Amino acid sequence: MDVALSRNGRIALRALFVLVVLFLYLPIVILLIFSFNNSELPSFPLSGFTLHWYHQFLTNGDLRGALQTSAIIAAISSVGAVVLGVLASVALTRRRVRGRAAVSALLLSPLVIPYVVFGISLLLLFHTVGIPRSILTVVIGHIVISLPYTILVLVPRLEQIDVSLEEAGYDLGASRLRTFRSITLPLILPAVVSAFLIAFTTSFDEYAVASFVVGTRTTFPIYLYSALRFPNQLPQVIAVAVVVISLSLVVVVAAEVGRRVAERRLGTLES
Amino acid sequence: MPEEKDLLERRLSREDLLRLAAVTGGAGLVAGRTGLARAASAHLAKETGRLQVLDWAGYGNDGGQSMFAQYVKTHPQNKPRFTYMGNEADALAKIHAGLKPDLFRPYVGWVKYFATSGLVQPWDPALISNFKHLNPYMVKAGQYGGKQYGIPDDWGFDAILYRSDKVKPKAKSWGLLFDERYKGKIAWYDDITMIQAAGLYLGFKNTWNQTDDQLKQSQKLLISKKHLVRKIWSSETDLWQLFGSSDVWIAYAWPNDWVQMKKKGLKVVYMRPKEKPIAWVGMFMLLKGTSRPQLAHAYVDAWSSAKSAKWLEDNYGYGHANTIARPSSSDLLRALQLTNLRAVTEPNAYMDRDIPRRALYAKTWEQVKAS
Amino acid sequence: MAVEGEAGPPPARLPRRRRLRLDLTTPTLLGVPVAWLVVFFLVPIAIVAAYSFDVYSLFPGKHGFTLAAWREFLHSSVYLELFWKSVKMSLIVSAIIVVLAYPLAYYLALSGTKRKYVLLLVLIAPFLTSYLLRVLAWKVILGDQGVINTFLFWTGLRSADHPISQLLYSRFAVMLVLGYVWLPFVALPIFVSLESLDRRLLEAASDLGASRLQAFRRVTLPLSLPGIMAAFLFVFIPTLGEFVTPSLVGGPSGYMYGNQIVDLFGTGFPDWETGSVLAIFLFGVVTVLTVVFARFLQPRQVTAG
Repeated sequence: MDVALSRNGRIALRALFVLVVLFLYLPIVILLIFSFNNSELPSFPLSGFTLHWYHQFLTNGDLRGALQTSAIIAAISSVGAVVLGVLASVALTRRRVRGRAAVSALLLSPLVIPYVVFGISLLLLFHTVGIPRSILTVVIGHIVISLPYTILVLVPRLEQIDVSLEEAGYDLGASRLRTFRSITLPLILPAVVSAFLIAFTTSFDEYAVASFVVGTRTTFPIYLYSALRFPNQLPQVIAVAVVVISLSLVVVVAAEVGRRVAERRLGTLES
Repeated sequence: MPEEKDLLERRLSREDLLRLAAVTGGAGLVAGRTGLARAASAHLAKETGRLQVLDWAGYGNDGGQSMFAQYVKTHPQNKPRFTYMGNEADALAKIHAGLKPDLFRPYVGWVKYFATSGLVQPWDPALISNFKHLNPYMVKAGQYGGKQYGIPDDWGFDAILYRSDKVKPKAKSWGLLFDERYKGKIAWYDDITMIQAAGLYLGFKNTWNQTDDQLKQSQKLLISKKHLVRKIWSSETDLWQLFGSSDVWIAYAWPNDWVQMKKKGLKVVYMRPKEKPIAWVGMFMLLKGTSRPQLAHAYVDAWSSAKSAKWLEDNYGYGHANTIARPSSSDLLRALQLTNLRAVTEPNAYMDRDIPRRALYAKTWEQVKAS
Repeated sequence: MAVEGEAGPPPARLPRRRRLRLDLTTPTLLGVPVAWLVVFFLVPIAIVAAYSFDVYSLFPGKHGFTLAAWREFLHSSVYLELFWKSVKMSLIVSAIIVVLAYPLAYYLALSGTKRKYVLLLVLIAPFLTSYLLRVLAWKVILGDQGVINTFLFWTGLRSADHPISQLLYSRFAVMLVLGYVWLPFVALPIFVSLESLDRRLLEAASDLGASRLQAFRRVTLPLSLPGIMAAFLFVFIPTLGEFVTPSLVGGPSGYMYGNQIVDLFGTGFPDWETGSVLAIFLFGVVTVLTVVFARFLQPRQVTAG
């Protein structure tokens, strides 16, 4: 007898799970349907199949520019967040840190700040110091936002690794840096990649903070937000939505699968 | 040939004299130089770099190129560079934060504010060849203290757009925006101009300078009627989507919105309220301390041409202060009452004007939204 | 951390090891990320706070420390009522989706299904796709001529003249969309805490004669409480300051506290003092909540295995 679930319980919960998953994916499926719909207004009944909207968005220079800007910002800020995250995680897991609770709290605090407050505070900072708003300012903000996520991914992994492996490195005379490079880094690499991907998607999708500090450039979410108000651009945006969502689903799944496979192969999973 | 050279120098002299006259400061250039022409062209050569323009989205290199194409042709070395303003308050913030545009484009209600702020300087209409074609009433609205601080460009009305097949107004009045019968089908505009509209409906004598008590009344009216509102729109295309999808039947709107909805095949009426519509006019303003005043004048001149005016009317659906220009759409011509030069001012409409207690109006409106 | 029970390395090595043990690198290691956050997180917030007390301003005019903006904020009921409205909306959304997410997480963690990580991924994946696009999807679905309404017209359940208008541009729309967006994310901490539950406790309870329901109430639920609280906080705090969703699907009645902050900084006449006051107030509330509830959370609740 299962102590956690009865048979009926299991059936009921499975049904609930299926229903919720359907609910979660239904809007995405609807977007998919209407991306091929031959009409400017997404409404029933359907008006026939067309690839026009996909073609339109592929030839839309503004949109491509926005995608590019977002990609650049995401790439730079995720590298930054991962680098800072590795530094912080190694310090937190491998060293004695005084005031560890306070430091951890500070490092994780961007998780809890509402982005509207953070966006405005950055806006004021840059106005005060006289830094013009640009891609750079968005990168700065996104590094702050992504840093907690990278730490949350790296710390468990670092704690998981058997410290004696590193110890062996020191015993063999390697410096700290060498040990890190040759022993620790390869072992945490799947987590580093994971952290990078999380930071990337967080930055790529981020609207609130970017809207305050981007200045005159346009990121993809900002383009989306203003395009959401253009009825004749709506079908195009839906086509983009389908592509981006599909791509991110693929990436997410591939990343997670890859991470698990890599970590299992590295053979350091506990029990 | 000495004759031609003479002619050339004379022509140069005349133009350059005019330009020199317009320039504040730098008079020392003229003194002690041989030949005004040489001095003038030397001074002209001093205006370098790209013209820094602070304008609304859609008027720069993001679609508005036709408006200043003539300028780009004659000044290829000084092509305009754009920063975008979300609204006048945003422009003000940007300027205070250190942005140094050469010119920008607030609307007529801000002329007095900026003229007295110390941030801008008057234009010299003599340097703008198309100035004589601009609507005199709009030109007057751009003056303060006898000086031409604003050069009018685009303009339009604020009035009410409604679906004639769904809505039977009780009267031609601003009150249609507050009509209980059409709950959930009304759209307001996200701007303090709603307070002015409320004031007009309530019959206040000067809705731009309401007393504390009047402001409270306006606010009370707006808050009490907010439950009728489906959406408070801020971008025109928001409005078009709402109307197009029949989410909304009545809206605070501009003439072009009527034209666009008619194009979609909807039965719409652009109603002139009996309390009078509000007219708005965009005003180019010249920043004080700019190093490119003459380039700025040339840019504004290009904007003021009949060709640019017609393009604006045909593509953006706003009116243009150039009285010669006529749009292709007869509907737009009618909605803007383009044949009537006095359309923007009384007795036809109230021209938007300075609001002495603008900060208080803004706070009042924000509180309406928050309630 | 000396290596034990082993013939140690030659004595000549030991001094070198001891030298390496000097923690000179820790300040550098931690210093960089901490410095980044101090400069680009703490300082900006301090600036906003200074702005709210008019100690600092970008616009010319008389400025000096004053509580005027704060006093107005606390005395005029408008802002506090708006805040309370946002709190209520966030509370309802958070409560509903935590309650909804719990059985899902329970199923994944405790039903012994072989593919639990795959299914978890299936559940979480939408959260990792674009937020705005998912809001867009709902705009498409909820409008007067949107998917739901035109479907109803098509099947004759409603006449084309009477669409259900309250679906979009309403408080309902905001809460629905926010719930939809955050539901996948909320399942995660609950799943983690349930997964780490020792099944033997449940077996013991059953041996002692408890029914499944009793075991759930007495064992599972209390032990998963940290996960539930983490989940609740994870959705409550961000939705409290939300402004994107309300501006897209909220209409005037779905207007939230975050929208007022954005408007005070952006539209009309810039009222950055009042905006700063509202922002700092929200920040303060969120900080207090986090500190109070952090004692119940452990970082493990937050990370997926």
